[in-house]
Amino acid sequence: MNTDPGVVRDLFAGHYFLFAFLTSLGAIQIAVSNAGTRGLWLMPHATMTRWLGIVLIVSAIAIFFMQPLWVDGPWAAGSVEADSLTRDWGKANWDELAGARNVNDIHGGLDGVKQTGWFSLAAVTAFAVSAIAGTLSIKILNTVQPKSGDEQITSAQDGLAGLANRSYLSVQPESWRNFRADIGEFWQNGIREADSWNLIKSIWGRSSK
Amino acid sequence: MTSIDADIVIWLNGLSGNVAAFDNLMRIAASDYLMPLVFSLSMLGLWFSGKNPAQRIRYQLTTLMGISALSIANIVVWLFNITIERPRPFVEYGDQLTLSFYPPTDPSFPANPVAVGFAAATAAWTINRKFGLWLYAAAALFGFSRMYAGVFYPTDIIGGAVVGIAIYVFTTYLRRFLEPLITGFVRLIRGLSAA
Repeated sequence: MNTDPGVVRDLFAGHYFLFAFLTSLGAIQIAVSNAGTRGLWLMPHATMTRWLGIVLIVSAIAIFFMQPLWVDGPWAAGSVEADSLTRDWGKANWDELAGARNVNDIHGGLDGVKQTGWFSLAAVTAFAVSAIAGTLSIKILNTVQPKSGDEQITSAQDGLAGLANRSYLSVQPESWRNFRADIGEFWQNGIREADSWNLIKSIWGRSSK
Repeated sequence: MTSIDADIVIWLNGLSGNVAAFDNLMRIAASDYLMPLVFSLSMLGLWFSGKNPAQRIRYQLTTLMGISALSIANIVVWLFNITIERPRPFVEYGDQLTLSFYPPTDPSFPANPVAVGFAAATAAWTINRKFGLWLYAAAALFGFSRMYAGVFYPTDIIGGAVVGIAIYVFTTYLRRFLEPLITGFVRLIRGLSAA
């Protein structure tokens, strides 16, 4: 492979971000469908949301590992061989496909730190997409119909608990307000109840006395 | 010990080339991208899985411990690597192995991917035994595929598993040292309606 590792890395980064985003979206959908967090559902019903999550994960894995069939990259003509340095640039064939993505990070593959960065960004984006879709679903399609008396109970909840029956936009101001109201007392209680050898207590405890 | 280790790798690797479909499955399982993503997704899924406030905070704290354990396991593996510097099987027995993965340049012991996988699996296991066992199986498959490909010895895999589990246990103790910072962080994320 006579290609600049930077070019290969950019290619891998784009593919990996899409892979991580779709699988993260799928994992979030499966989890929130089980937990009943309707404010993050992409579909109006739990079963549909769960199946969508499974389809997203399976599709993302298939797309990522089959992309070398139709996208030019460092996988052609010899990708079944182990050394990622001796490959030609081009498309892979079916026989080469399984090993096509096995490119060393010094030759342009993504190392653990870069994967962590891209995955984190993909997970945050997947959450944002779920929150926006859930908000549109609740506000426009009116998919959540609170039963009598429910509104009073749910209005006292924030965070993911609040998203069980409300949209992200309606829960967020309350979540932040509650956080600001509670955090001081939470912190003081936490310091007070911490073990005597606790690092935070030894730094913060004295200054707060 | 090393000769038994080498014998196992040479025997396992010698099985490659017989069933193309199995070889391809092992190449995909050994990939840098599939199993690490499975472990990351399991932590992401765990974060959102709680059904009531008590369960949710427990799951989210476990997720944070799991993510911290992954990071610390990487550092511990690196410390082992620079201390022991064990060569990879294909370096010592290259003439007897058919390498089916790119030749990594870092030392062999302990297996970093397995340490990371077992740390995540242990975190999941403390929450849900069945889910944890599936992740242990995924981490073991990850290690097996790398051994089959000729890039790790069995003792590297066992060492990685021990490091991963031990680091998760250590991380849970470390949490007591850093509270209320950890729970406060979860509280901050809840303030952003994501916890």
